[in-house]
Amino acid sequence: MEFRLTLHAVGAVSLGLALMAPLNAFGQELNYGPPASSYVTEALKYPDAATKPTPHMADGHPDLNGVWHHFFGELVHPVGAGSFALGFGGAAPAAKAGGPPPPRPRPDPVPEYKPEYVAKVKFFNDNQVKEDHALHCMNPGVPRIGPPQQIIQTANQAVFLYADSTGNQWRVIPLDGRGHGTDPEAEATDNGDSVGHWDGDTLVVDVTRLNRDNWLSDNGLFHSKNLHVVERLRRVGDTIRYEMTADDPQVLAKPWTISRVLTLQRDTLEAAAACVDNDQGHYVNQEHHDNAR
Amino acid sequence: MRTNLKKCLAVAAVAALASALPMVAHHAVSAEFDAGKVITLKGTVSRVDWVNPHIFIYLDVKDDSGKVTTWRLQSVPPMFFKGSGLTKDKLLDGPEATVTAYPAKDGTEAFGFLLKLAYPDGHFYNLGGGNAPAAPPAPSSAK
Repeated sequence: MEFRLTLHAVGAVSLGLALMAPLNAFGQELNYGPPASSYVTEALKYPDAATKPTPHMADGHPDLNGVWHHFFGELVHPVGAGSFALGFGGAAPAAKAGGPPPPRPRPDPVPEYKPEYVAKVKFFNDNQVKEDHALHCMNPGVPRIGPPQQIIQTANQAVFLYADSTGNQWRVIPLDGRGHGTDPEAEATDNGDSVGHWDGDTLVVDVTRLNRDNWLSDNGLFHSKNLHVVERLRRVGDTIRYEMTADDPQVLAKPWTISRVLTLQRDTLEAAAACVDNDQGHYVNQEHHDNAR
Repeated sequence: MRTNLKKCLAVAAVAALASALPMVAHHAVSAEFDAGKVITLKGTVSRVDWVNPHIFIYLDVKDDSGKVTTWRLQSVPPMFFKGSGLTKDKLLDGPEATVTAYPAKDGTEAFGFLLKLAYPDGHFYNLGGGNAPAAPPAPSSAK
């Protein structure tokens, strides 16, 4: 009860701030994938997850199968007599709004661009509502879509599933030793060309041929067609240590690395509802929020 | 120990909410709607589009002459309803409601951001969070 009340009360305050926040300042907050704090929430649901035994497949490799993230939902909740409310309505305690801010996960590192591209990032950030494809129901793509939300693994391939607000996405990652495609005419795609291999107990996924219309993350963090992404996944008990490095020597001054600890969830990954861009044409300005990916 | 865990969960939930909400409210409401003006409508929900990035509720509003105008009202993302018990069917099967909303800034007629649906028997669906004001006495139509 204590948990629910706190959640709902602060939900109302947060929603008010989130919906009404003015234009975010350039570089105000870096976001990658689903909110970093949601992984903290999921870890707290299973506090001893990392101490569980690490399961292995018949071929001896760690078993990465499972749901590793899901949206927690329940932001709308019953308030009695058949009524429902988002947050705590007008009854949010004033002390919450004026109190100290809640602790947040340690901020992610910010990608460092070559000086000649800083203005381009600013332009995209200033015009994000228009320029960001992910705000218009298009797949944010790799790496912006974040760590896998569910993994299906066999001896020869891993399939990463994502219930994204732009729709349901998946990646099929061969583990049979093949290299990247060699067709020079092959189109770049949102999820790119992924191949995987095992480095000891770590699954390493190498991704090339990524669509340069997509961004690394929120706030105008664009990339070139030469982006090269490497993901490393190591299972520890019922957790996965996930690390993503984006290397784009054309526009970045140095590779950009993000880490997350994923916790095995008992819930089913629910498919996302279809995405329909009904807002197009109704914007009167470029006001937007930090978007979590 | 139990209390500590609850506190931890509450803190984590707060942190998650603080960053999750902007994720899905991806453009500012103020980029599209006039949050300085609340309109009140009286009508029946005739259609619900359960889609990302926000659901849309269509409200049939009858004016004094009997002419029906269908308002298109943007609301919150479908994932906000997960596990809540408030479903598309509940929204569709309700009686006539008194509805508050922010109007569109670009002048589009019959287009707004939904705050609250209130029904004659007293039950309500407040989807505007802390932003939803109490509905003033309802006229028969907007404006």
